[in-house]
Amino acid sequence: MTATVRRRHPARPWLTAAAGGLALVVAAAVWHLTLGAVHVPAGEVISALTGHASTPGEMIVADIRLPRVLVALAVGAALAAAGVVMQGVTGNPLAAPDLLGVTAGASFAVVLALTVVPRLAEVSTVALALCGAAAAGCAVLALAGRSKGSGLRENRLILGGVTVSALLLSLTQGLIIFHENNAESVVYWLVGGVNLSQWREAWTILPVALAGIAGCLAMAGRLNVLALGEEMARSLGQRVALVRLCGAALVILITGACVAVAGPIGFVGLVVPHMARRLVGSDHVRLLPVSALFGGALLVLADAVSHFVNPPNEVPAGVVTALLGAPYFVWLARRDRKSA
Amino acid sequence: MTALAPSPSPASAVAPRRTARGRWYLAAAGLAVVVTAYSLTVSSVPLPFGDVLDALTGRADDALSRLVWDYQIPRIILCWAVGAGLGASGAVMQSVIRNPLASPDVLGVTRGAGVTALFVVLILPATPLSLLPVAALAGGVAVTVVVYALAYRGGTTPIRLALVGVAASACCEAMIRFLLMRYPQDVNGSLIWLAGSFFGRTWQTVAITVPWVVVCLPVVVLLGRRLDVMGLGDPMAVGLGERAEGTRRLAIGVAVVLASGAVAAAGTLSFVSLIAPHIARRLVGGRMATLTPMAAAVGVLLTLGADTLGRGISPPLEIPAGLITAVIGAPYFLYLLMRTGR
Repeated sequence: MTATVRRRHPARPWLTAAAGGLALVVAAAVWHLTLGAVHVPAGEVISALTGHASTPGEMIVADIRLPRVLVALAVGAALAAAGVVMQGVTGNPLAAPDLLGVTAGASFAVVLALTVVPRLAEVSTVALALCGAAAAGCAVLALAGRSKGSGLRENRLILGGVTVSALLLSLTQGLIIFHENNAESVVYWLVGGVNLSQWREAWTILPVALAGIAGCLAMAGRLNVLALGEEMARSLGQRVALVRLCGAALVILITGACVAVAGPIGFVGLVVPHMARRLVGSDHVRLLPVSALFGGALLVLADAVSHFVNPPNEVPAGVVTALLGAPYFVWLARRDRKSA
Repeated sequence: MTALAPSPSPASAVAPRRTARGRWYLAAAGLAVVVTAYSLTVSSVPLPFGDVLDALTGRADDALSRLVWDYQIPRIILCWAVGAGLGASGAVMQSVIRNPLASPDVLGVTRGAGVTALFVVLILPATPLSLLPVAALAGGVAVTVVVYALAYRGGTTPIRLALVGVAASACCEAMIRFLLMRYPQDVNGSLIWLAGSFFGRTWQTVAITVPWVVVCLPVVVLLGRRLDVMGLGDPMAVGLGERAEGTRRLAIGVAVVLASGAVAAAGTLSFVSLIAPHIARRLVGGRMATLTPMAAAVGVLLTLGADTLGRGISPPLEIPAGLITAVIGAPYFLYLLMRTGR
């Protein structure tokens, strides 16, 4: 199946895009590592990465900046892969974890636990975020499922998801106001970022992100079959419901872990798959790795750019991704599709 | 056609009899008076109604009358103005666009107005306060035009218009957050622009907002009859001597002005302009001449109720009114969404 799809796109553009993505990731990471309160020259960054950290600059890079870049890389890559899977599973080009309320659900669950039962939050924010993500995702899909026909493909699904997101964000804000009266914490759980990440966060997210992306890659062939349409996939012997369930579980796992570590970061999962699709076509075997690379690069770059928003203060990278991604959402929303 | 239909023509609308309608108006007015009186007594310090009366009649001491006259009363007047403006604006938009999901917040007008207003507040602080609604209006108009242009494909469907509007809102919200990060505010300042709140509003804000509402509200009410004629369909309306396109633009324009004025006063208060007309339509039927005033009244009740609740839940903490309207309004929007376009 995938072979025929592959023949339509010659191999070279795919490899070029992947190599370009990799180069972008490395360049963005090195640039990011030089930025901060102290400027560390690129040469010192590279020696810190390759060898032993001896100078103060090298130690800053190894102990403070490297975990942050790794978290950005992992979160960006995982969210982009989750976006690809979500769009594949629903057949809806606008589907993305943040537009379907999954992200907002995870962040609401974490904040609820932090403010109401702090003891619960000590156990595992990742588990809490997973529960929230699962609950919100199921609620939105159930709402869409109640409309006639293939409700997943419709704009109604996205409108419902965005509204559920808005509702959950309002509730989150309300909880934070009761708990803590400062603007930064309010904004942090509305707009996520990696600026507070340390090695602990890095070790939490890296295994989950890698496992999640591997899981997505394992589904690539099945997503290709599903892309032919539900009827066709079924007649080719695919268990469509099972594929959808696995895809949803992967998305929830990735989103929950990312939110627990970095807060809700919007639009990476929406924008990156579309950009990658333009470069390498819609074969998921190629689309997924390229999306993951570009997602990682995008979030690292967004976090680097966020250094310049309000220096010397750090602002969450989610501000930058939203600023880049929201106009793209407008552009995608206007494209004509079945909308009744 | 159901009571939820966007612009029911007079003949087929669920039109309760005149007396029933009158009763609903009386009930709304009575309820508004009761909520207003109760709202006067809700404050961060205990404020019995007797004391409020004393302050109103000038028999209270200085501190008490300052509290009532400088904090409670302007705030309540603003709730009235903002609520009425949003409610009426939503009713007009739903009628003109013939879309039950249309309202200033779904179409992005509210957030668009919020961006430009916040821009002026943060970047051009020397601008006189009276120009704030003008700035908000510029943003509101710009977003309306952009959303309509993008969603228009030889006509537009309710869902597509709403989706483009929601996307434009997300865009404006991203800009609001960027501005708030670039120029950090105190928590209440941020929440006014993220959620909509009446925190710390004074007579100054009343002075810049109320005139807009006082001028525009009668205009939309008077436009009601012409909008009802338009509800019969363009050919019929033109046959009856209506300049359909002109009336439509005038009505949308005034509706955007009302919504933008409200945003300049209270930030991006969401969902009031969406639900108020729907509730009003259930009560008094779909004729615009009677619907618009009722939508304004319901808007006042929602806004005032949300603000009072927000102040009263756990003083001295204050929940922004916009969070409360969102919690009420979002489920209602979901319900409308599931019914629309089947």
